[in-house]
Amino acid sequence: MMFNIELVLLVPAITALLCLVRSKKEIAANISIIGSCVGLIVSVMLCLPIFTDGEVYNYGLWYMDSLSALFLMIISFVALMVSLYSKGYFDFERKEGLLTAKYESYYYFFLNLFIAIMLSACVVKSMGLLWIIIEATTLVSTFLVGFYNNEHSTEAAWKYLIICSVGITLALVGISLVYASSIGVITDTSSALDWPILFAVASQLDPVLMRVAMILIIIGFGTKVGFAPMHTWLPDAHSQAPTPVSALLSAVLLNCAFYSILRFYLISEITIPGFAGTLLLIFGFASLIVAAAFILLSKDIKRMLAYSSIEHMGIIAIGFGIGTPLAIFAALFHMLAHSLTKPIMFFTAGNIAQAYGTRDMESIRGLKEKMPYTAFMLTAGTLAIVGTPPFAIFIGEYLTLSSAIDAGYWWMAAIMLGLILIIFAGFVLHIFPMLSGSTEKEVHEHKSIIRALPFAILLGATLFFGLFMPDQVYDCFEMIVEKVFGGIL
Amino acid sequence: MDVAFFENLIDIFAVAMLLLSMLAMASSRMLQLIRIFALQSLMLSILAFIVAVYSGNSHIYIICVLTLVLKVIAIPKFLIYTMERIKIEKEIKPLVGIPGSLLLSAVMILIAYIVAEPMIDSLATIGSNCLALSLSVIFIGMLMMVTRTMAITESIGLLLMENGLFLGAMTISYGMPLIVELGVFFDVLIAVVIIGIFAYRINRTFDSVDTIFLRRLKE
Repeated sequence: MMFNIELVLLVPAITALLCLVRSKKEIAANISIIGSCVGLIVSVMLCLPIFTDGEVYNYGLWYMDSLSALFLMIISFVALMVSLYSKGYFDFERKEGLLTAKYESYYYFFLNLFIAIMLSACVVKSMGLLWIIIEATTLVSTFLVGFYNNEHSTEAAWKYLIICSVGITLALVGISLVYASSIGVITDTSSALDWPILFAVASQLDPVLMRVAMILIIIGFGTKVGFAPMHTWLPDAHSQAPTPVSALLSAVLLNCAFYSILRFYLISEITIPGFAGTLLLIFGFASLIVAAAFILLSKDIKRMLAYSSIEHMGIIAIGFGIGTPLAIFAALFHMLAHSLTKPIMFFTAGNIAQAYGTRDMESIRGLKEKMPYTAFMLTAGTLAIVGTPPFAIFIGEYLTLSSAIDAGYWWMAAIMLGLILIIFAGFVLHIFPMLSGSTEKEVHEHKSIIRALPFAILLGATLFFGLFMPDQVYDCFEMIVEKVFGGIL
Repeated sequence: MDVAFFENLIDIFAVAMLLLSMLAMASSRMLQLIRIFALQSLMLSILAFIVAVYSGNSHIYIICVLTLVLKVIAIPKFLIYTMERIKIEKEIKPLVGIPGSLLLSAVMILIAYIVAEPMIDSLATIGSNCLALSLSVIFIGMLMMVTRTMAITESIGLLLMENGLFLGAMTISYGMPLIVELGVFFDVLIAVVIIGIFAYRINRTFDSVDTIFLRRLKE
């Protein structure tokens, strides 16, 4: 096997080290772009046999099935987009004198390290190691969140570090209870936390211990996913981090945390059917309600986008909570759709914030005249993120709603639809006034190919999945539902 | 030596850890708090040694030594070093006063017993009594993070939680796979260093390590 798992993890790790190399020109950005290109190619090559032949890699520390492959591809793809956007973004910051080349190379070092760690979360076999990796993502990204080193970003980074560390400590208590419940069932204790082994004996695990364990695990990892009411770190971290990092946190990090919940969800749905699903439904609706309320009230554009991430994580949680094949299909597809759409919104917010020098939506006016390209992307991105057709998010939301109705949860579908409409109204009320009107400020749009490229690719991708879902892609999702979730349906 | 003897011995040290947690909630000086943390870690290390002797799992000896080196010696040293470097006031000003904190701790212990009660029958190990104790230590650690406002006291709260976690893992399942435990130790160490760095940054940006100033990000 030429494209093995170690290679996928090594590429961003080596890229990270290369970014630290000092030179006269600012080459770190280019190294990062090349590195993430190579990373994307390698992970596509690794994942192809999984999707085409249904292969499962299970050796050494690693375990990879089609579910891992989906997450791996999303991470590699978004990482490339973020690398591309970072170049344009930090070129501007450097010209403005907001940061030096030295700090820029630190940024790319932490960025690629962060990506490497997130990639390893999706391929690791032992659930104990998974915990360690998720905690490591917090530790590395704290530096990215606090990158600007001013009072606001220091506060956001501190909150992020402390709240996520506490949450994740609870998850570790849960994992040690899972381990305790496997005593007597699994004889070789050194591999007792390996996912395939746990999954194979899931029906014999102790249900009482698993119940408490699942509560702790969903609260713990849920803190990192951004489920309400543990979400308080999320709007601060997303709004204070440099914009490319916000996109990465929102589109990828939350998915990684969700992935850890899913692995335990799969085990627990066999031991105690329906229990984890109910918990996910509760947290899903709580997140949706909190997100709807705060989107209506928000003033800062990046905070609003952060609450929108909470909303979409809530919708995904509801999908898994309903737990029918259609609902799981919908949730997985929605995860992909969100990861493709949210970076567009963050990148436009970054462009606007750089040009206007503020993120306050009330004081941003006249986008249509001053920044026609960004205004276009903002309109398209807003329509995509609130779930209008023909964008991918629409399909995800539509499928989740219809799966709820199919499963007989009429009231659930009704509440969800109501909340989605409130969020729609919130977005329209806040975003569209920014397009018209006029501003006294001197505003220039920063045009360059490198800035336009990630927008074009992402918008193309979300339109592509929304308009024509190729059979191959459809089959991939079907396969994940069948093979990975087949045991619990 | 029979099982009952080991059971009593483990219970004694687990109870000592809980009492030290209560003492930590009652302490009003930073240095004292760090020393209480070190002492609690020492109790954890001894407890690990007893569990290792009883269960015969040789990898628990490694945990015992690591706890001794990292949590009893290295981390307290680092915390005291950070404290001196940023020259903070040595008094702890809690949001909730000491009597209130102790009362809340008692509530936490009660909750821990309610949570642990249904699970005790499912546990086959000798330390099953310790589940409620370990949950109490974890909850009190959380309480400390919520009610104390200095950057360093918050990090000690996190460390107390981690101690409770290891107490639980050690007594209900004789530890976890070695590679996982080593990883957790590594993460804790890095977390403390990063917390130290940020405590320094907070001090420089706000002229205080009191995280009460970190209330500016709002809607």
